[in-house]
Amino acid sequence: MREIELRADQTGSKEEIDTVYIGGGTPSVLDVSQLRDILHAVNKHYDIRDDAEITLEVNPGTLGVKDGVTLAKLQAYKYMGINRLSMGVQAMDNDRLHFMGRIHTAENVVRDMKLLRQKGFDNINLDLMFSIPGETTEQALEDARRIIELGPEHISCYSLQIEEGTPFADMIAGGEITEVPDEEDRDTYHRLCRMLEGAGYEHYEISNFAKPGYRSRHNSLYWDMSDYIAFGLGASGFEDGVRYKNISDIDGYITSLKSDKLPVDEVHTNSAFDNISEAVFTGLRRIEGISYEDAVEAYFRATDAEGTKPHGSDACREFFWQVFSEAGGEASDYEERGLLIIDDKGLRLTEQGIDISNSIMSLFV
Amino acid sequence: MSYLDNIRNFSIIAHIDHGKSTLADRLIEKTGLVEARDMKEQYLDNMDIERERGITIKLQTTRLVYKAKDGNEYILNLIDTPGHVDFNYEVSRSLAACDGAVLVVDATQGVEAQTLGNVYLALDEDLEILPVLNKMDLDSARPDDARAEIEDIIGLDASEAPEISAKTGQGVDEMLEKLVEVIPPPKGDPDGKLKALIFDSYYDSYKGVVIYTRIFDGRVKRGDTIRMMNTGKNYEVTEVGYCVPTTLPASELKAGEVGYICGSIKQVADARVGDTITLASDPADQALKGYKKAQSMVYCGIFPAEGEKYENVKDALEKLQVNDAAFNFEPENSAALGYGFRCGFLGLLHMDVITERLAREFDLDVITTLPSVVYKVVMKDGRVLEIQNPSNLPDPIEISHIEEPIVKADIMTPNEYVGSIMTLCQARRGNMVHMEYLTKTRVQLHYEIPLNEVIYDFFDALKSRTRGYASLDYEFLRYQQAKLVKLDILLNREKIDALSTIVPEEEAMAKGRGICEKLKDIIPRHQFEVPIQAAIGQKIIARETVRAYRKDVLAKCYGGDVSRKKKLLEKQKAGKKRMRQFGTVTVPQEAFTEVLKLDDGGK
Repeated sequence: MREIELRADQTGSKEEIDTVYIGGGTPSVLDVSQLRDILHAVNKHYDIRDDAEITLEVNPGTLGVKDGVTLAKLQAYKYMGINRLSMGVQAMDNDRLHFMGRIHTAENVVRDMKLLRQKGFDNINLDLMFSIPGETTEQALEDARRIIELGPEHISCYSLQIEEGTPFADMIAGGEITEVPDEEDRDTYHRLCRMLEGAGYEHYEISNFAKPGYRSRHNSLYWDMSDYIAFGLGASGFEDGVRYKNISDIDGYITSLKSDKLPVDEVHTNSAFDNISEAVFTGLRRIEGISYEDAVEAYFRATDAEGTKPHGSDACREFFWQVFSEAGGEASDYEERGLLIIDDKGLRLTEQGIDISNSIMSLFV
Repeated sequence: MSYLDNIRNFSIIAHIDHGKSTLADRLIEKTGLVEARDMKEQYLDNMDIERERGITIKLQTTRLVYKAKDGNEYILNLIDTPGHVDFNYEVSRSLAACDGAVLVVDATQGVEAQTLGNVYLALDEDLEILPVLNKMDLDSARPDDARAEIEDIIGLDASEAPEISAKTGQGVDEMLEKLVEVIPPPKGDPDGKLKALIFDSYYDSYKGVVIYTRIFDGRVKRGDTIRMMNTGKNYEVTEVGYCVPTTLPASELKAGEVGYICGSIKQVADARVGDTITLASDPADQALKGYKKAQSMVYCGIFPAEGEKYENVKDALEKLQVNDAAFNFEPENSAALGYGFRCGFLGLLHMDVITERLAREFDLDVITTLPSVVYKVVMKDGRVLEIQNPSNLPDPIEISHIEEPIVKADIMTPNEYVGSIMTLCQARRGNMVHMEYLTKTRVQLHYEIPLNEVIYDFFDALKSRTRGYASLDYEFLRYQQAKLVKLDILLNREKIDALSTIVPEEEAMAKGRGICEKLKDIIPRHQFEVPIQAAIGQKIIARETVRAYRKDVLAKCYGGDVSRKKKLLEKQKAGKKRMRQFGTVTVPQEAFTEVLKLDDGGK
């Protein structure tokens, strides 16, 4: 809260806020009063719009154990203005949940979902994880089927990424478990896409699916170069063309705040090229892709932009390919291979292109 | 008494690490030329790479003034010698400029193969040798053993060898006294016809080539027109002087003296080490003996890496060549790597030094291909071709036979490692000629080995099998017929010329398999399967496959951490820059040099 104050002081005037996202970790373990204080602080220093999307990440099993208390908690969330909940389901099979170190069971998920609906939450996201070591495509699809049955408005599907230095990486190195082969992972992904689309979900971003009208407004900010303010340990924000990232170490974070300093670890003022490049690779995460006009718009938002801002789609396209003249050849190769669509308006990945999106995006950095 | 009586021209000879450079530093310090505090560590080794590796490549020569106990002042010309087998010829020419040599033997190590090699070179030049026992400050010094080795192995009387520590300065004064006494003054006739030996040269951007020379007869001064007796070129002298070790102009250089000559010479190749300088107006009848043309023993391709300009590489190579007569290059065109250069070196170390200088001094990003020796290819029609680039090997149908260079390798080792060295040499197609016990525990093995087997990683393998105790000295012996074939590598069915090698027929299968396995690890996964094949002519002898990858996607953008994502993408892009594109296959640059570093265990 001290951080919210400090950061707001820096800005001066009360900024209008369109979405609030409380997540990372398990914020639902916070007491209702703590959560309320946080939202209150944000509201005091910023102008949260009436129709703002306010999301809270919750974990199954942290709700609903003691029904009386929990229902009260959910009721409180509603009063606070939280209107969207995101639940980290991950799998609908208890063995795999146990393997992933989760404390909840598939039964918890079903029950929690019922509770949320009872309390009138009508915008719910469920996270699904696939390519868990040992999992078959069929099992992943079965999980998805069960999640669809629960009828959430929004579903995120993530393929498990095994990062260096994590216990999973060690287990793979030690031969205890085997990573799901790429071929199988991609097969699962494409079949999940089919299944979700068949169930009426729009595939609007690499990992995100939503019923019409329920796309996450918050996530979209990351993909269209909008400003977002971040608070908390290790959080990343983007404000007025400056990217920043908070200190990730709790002691350093507290020390900094105690001396009235923003606990910022890295600050980078985006150049015009940074802006256009980020606009492209974040924009390519969207199924609709990135338009030349939006990319060019991002470019000219930076103070070091050179040249005169082109107007109209054709002029923007020309400008865009001037900036990325070196990428043109390889981009065409990807287009020929059916991985990337390049048209008059802009660029977008095909579903096959998504599989190797990093290679394509790296053309534009 | 002649002025000659007060001159001593000498070299210090030693095995690597036995303390040659440290001793040179101490002498310079003792004779008052450089204040101790101004001294860079090891004054004579003036290139960074040399200092890092503890070896001397370019020579530095310096003139010292020593006041002896007999009351006379002596001019001591210390002529430095390079300390590696690649530079034997240069060593021999430096020694030819001397009248004596100080033989430094590490009292903790004793005599090594290279010590011996250098002593023989010195004896060839009829030098008086003063043995000195160094590192006497160390507890592990065993001077009596070292003395015994010098007497037994080399046959020099070491009973009066000074015991010194170049590091602390202990015994160095006594050594200088002994030096003046043992090493004879130069002979020569200052009024005879000019005969001066070039023993080193370097390029200076103001003076042109600065020649280091020892005058044997006659004299030379500014304004004289000199002639290089072997190359026949004439130059007008613009400056002469002494090396202190920086240049100090003098009115003339005369017989017995060591100094430098400048004459607006454009590149060091025009003042070739070993050549004899005389006066164009009154030339000597005969050149000094021992001149040899620089002969490249090892070749490799140097290509600009992705994003590096051809012109920049060319400029850098030209600059290096100006200062290094033993290095040569010519343009080469590879189907795989594009335009680049075929470069010739004295040996592997020489090659390493040049490629490292390209990276370090010129900040260039280059790809070096596998080193190759020069093969003599005898055609059926009787022509003999010299091939140093495997991809130029003619069609086998037209070839009568191929000859490869064989070196004489002398390996000195403690006796307990003899077995493993013999195994190594056998695996490298070596023939043992002779083995002798130098002492009860030290053995010298004489082998004849194809140079091709020595250039990859023989030295490393030797060191690792003997815990660093064995030492190696080698020199070219002869060309010899061998059953050799060209091994081609195909990626996705396309031949990559820069990966072709010439290998013994009987080892082709094993090598081919080894290379394919190695490449399989080096080549990143593509979106399609990449077959890697080794072939002799049309026949595929080994095959591996790089499995296709289907996935390169980040599922999540970590709570808006765009910077992190960006760094990942940038890293990916940078990684790609280090790659080469062959048709549809992308190959990391290190593939070209890493591929033949096969584990010995596999052989």
